[in-house]
Amino acid sequence: MNIALDILSDGFFAAIAAIGFGAISDPPMRAFKFIALLAAIGHACRFCLMSYAGMDIAASSFISALIIGFGSLWLGGKIYCPMTVIYIPALLPMIPGKFAYNTVFSQIMFLQNMKVPELKAKYMEMFFSNGMVTITVIFLLAIGATIPMFIFHSKAFSLTRHINK
Amino acid sequence: MTNDILLQYTKFIAGYAAHLMGCGIHTSRVIRNTRRIGESLNFDLQISVFQKSMILTMQDKETQKTFSEVVEIPALPISFEHNSELSALSWEAVDKRLPFDVLNDKYTKIISAPRIDPLFVLLLVGFANASFCKLFGGDWMSMVIVFSATIAGFFVRMQMLKKHINHYIIFIVSSFTASLLASTSLIFDITSDIAIATSVLYLIPGVPLINGVIDIVEGHTLTGISRLTNAFLLIVCVAIGLSITLLLVHDRLL
Repeated sequence: MNIALDILSDGFFAAIAAIGFGAISDPPMRAFKFIALLAAIGHACRFCLMSYAGMDIAASSFISALIIGFGSLWLGGKIYCPMTVIYIPALLPMIPGKFAYNTVFSQIMFLQNMKVPELKAKYMEMFFSNGMVTITVIFLLAIGATIPMFIFHSKAFSLTRHINK
Repeated sequence: MTNDILLQYTKFIAGYAAHLMGCGIHTSRVIRNTRRIGESLNFDLQISVFQKSMILTMQDKETQKTFSEVVEIPALPISFEHNSELSALSWEAVDKRLPFDVLNDKYTKIISAPRIDPLFVLLLVGFANASFCKLFGGDWMSMVIVFSATIAGFFVRMQMLKKHINHYIIFIVSSFTASLLASTSLIFDITSDIAIATSVLYLIPGVPLINGVIDIVEGHTLTGISRLTNAFLLIVCVAIGLSITLLLVHDRLL
């Protein structure tokens, strides 16, 4: 019961985050419901893979991005929106902000503790491990969601076409 | 077709392409859409896209005359609405063979449509960042603080955007504002590191980051790298703003 509640609340907050961050980029009103839906599914899926299947953040982000990508291909055709209009806002909650913050934080602390060898080594290690996670995850998110576009390119390129469907 | 009309068509197509490129659409889609518009007006189109300008060469299929146009890519706010409506317009143009006047009217109507109400966006962004705080394991009090910090930071950003201040400065100042307000969480015994970390995340330019990777993967390396470079510079600015706050409060964070 608790597990189900955790998964649901994870999906719920991811959906709100996607709607808010998506709104900055002015998506069409009709796209919001699908953005929220895909963001919730994607983020909850990553949460499950990481907490219950023991997968790492990179692989689980990739799989979730793949799901979001296929979802946007399917739903985009229903509302005549290009895939990117739906999947970019849906991916935004998965951008690893905590790791990005730790990268900056450790950089500052490294520079402040140049004279203390143990701390210097600690923050150097922290900088590289957090930076690597940030870059890898962002890259995999974009690739994962774009793969469906490569596989089904003729469908993906004609989502906004109103006839012949 | 007389030269005047051809020139008018050429200008229209170049404007369409530059608008798409400016409002945050990945390069391959811009090229496909623009070709389609050209097709509907009976032109064959070749396009080279660079970081700040694009070159279009159009050949009239009847007379085989060619025209070239170099057009500057404007810096527009990202708009997914324009992305979908203008893509749909390109299909409509080619499927229904829309005459030029109709096409031009529809185009003008789409790009002059109002954006979502800024105050509504402000509220949504506040909630979004607060939810983000929750996702990273923040508690309820941190969420409230992040909500208000985000609203303040985003408001500062909107006001500065209106005054056309350099966008690097905008990013530094709004990141500083948001993180400084979020650092008030240090007064309470709550998850303040998470609050400070998430308070600036609304500034992360996610759209150019993802578009840049898409461009690179699709072989438009030049524009892809340029988008990623721009996004990276903005992230550095967010980091600078955040750093100023951290330098002020880091003794209490450890």
